[in-house]
Amino acid sequence: MNYLKEERLNALAAEYVVGTLRGKARLRYQKLLMQYQIVGETTAKWEEYLVGFSDGITPVEPPHGVWEQIQHRLNHGNSTKPVSNVVEFEQAKQARWRYLSFLSTAAAMIFAVLLVVMIPVADEEISHVAVVNNADNTPLWVIEISESTMDVKVTSAFAAITDKDYELWMVPENGEAPISLGLLPESGLEHLATNAILLNGRIAALAVSLEAPGGSKTGAPTEVLYIAPLVSV
Amino acid sequence: MEHETLFPLLCETANGNKAAFAELYKLTSPQLYAVVLKLLKRPELADEATQDAFIKIWHNAGSYQRGKGTVLTWMVSIARYRALDLIRYHNLRNEVSLDNEAPQLDESSNTVRMNTEQDKLAECLDELDQSQRQAIQLAYVNGLSHQEVVNHLSSPLGTIKSWIRRGLQSLQRCLSL
Repeated sequence: MNYLKEERLNALAAEYVVGTLRGKARLRYQKLLMQYQIVGETTAKWEEYLVGFSDGITPVEPPHGVWEQIQHRLNHGNSTKPVSNVVEFEQAKQARWRYLSFLSTAAAMIFAVLLVVMIPVADEEISHVAVVNNADNTPLWVIEISESTMDVKVTSAFAAITDKDYELWMVPENGEAPISLGLLPESGLEHLATNAILLNGRIAALAVSLEAPGGSKTGAPTEVLYIAPLVSV
Repeated sequence: MEHETLFPLLCETANGNKAAFAELYKLTSPQLYAVVLKLLKRPELADEATQDAFIKIWHNAGSYQRGKGTVLTWMVSIARYRALDLIRYHNLRNEVSLDNEAPQLDESSNTVRMNTEQDKLAECLDELDQSQRQAIQLAYVNGLSHQEVVNHLSSPLGTIKSWIRRGLQSLQRCLSL
């Protein structure tokens, strides 16, 4: 099926924006969004067409805690402690969990100290991380990026396909074509060189495509399988 | 408001200006929160969707392209898609009472988007057949799937799909005139 035929694309974009395009069809459309500029433009057109429905909804002031949580999650200064929405009778139960949480945190810290002692410490700090999940939200690759090294760890949930390779892509925010970051490992942990564009470019997301052995022959992703946000830490 | 206020605030947000981001939140969060609350019904999930949306807006402010729509449309879309993701992730079934929840346009709340394009949009929405408009509204505003719209309007699935498809085609024709 040619998704890019104008009439077909308009129908898909409209149902994507309305929200009736669901399940695997929605995921397939999201991949098309990453691949083709025309898909993004058509989607934006429909967003503008239909937003009039949202205009009709009476605004509702969000709870104060929402803004505090946003500041907290962005690590912005002057954020006060997030407001707890938990009602009082839950507090006794929570105290027990806090105690257990404290114990597990302490154990984790001791373990971390042991690790620091046992393992040579990397010179560079990790600046960005990305976790590539499959459609069931199960992590397949964990990517940690520092100034010169990109560490890619393959999880036990990953199952390789014979005669295929997996290629990692950086998707620029400005809608330009994805840039290849190389082939992903299919087992264990691999240390790759960090592409400077990951640190300096404006990035919408990372993407993983399925490719013939050796990677894309065209310079563009062949079949985008997964999309992962790149988060600065 | 869109051109005078929101766009400069978004530009400042893209430059890392936290005060501008706070002002952008103050001006737009009631609209975004209302949209996701309508979709998700559950306040705790609406809180989560609103937080996620504004965090994405902070990180992606620089990627907004004016040619692709207004700032508010861009922001509302980010919030809506996050809410739709949460509906899928939590496998939420939308059960709404037709008597209480049939979406009605509230003219008095339409204070943000006031220009010729929006007038045209309102005109085209008004021209839609009542059943088409209601089916699209239930899906867009309340987050109902095709099957949920079927349950809601007590019409066959084929009819509902047809109402939505033809309604959207009519809207496109009207807006492109």
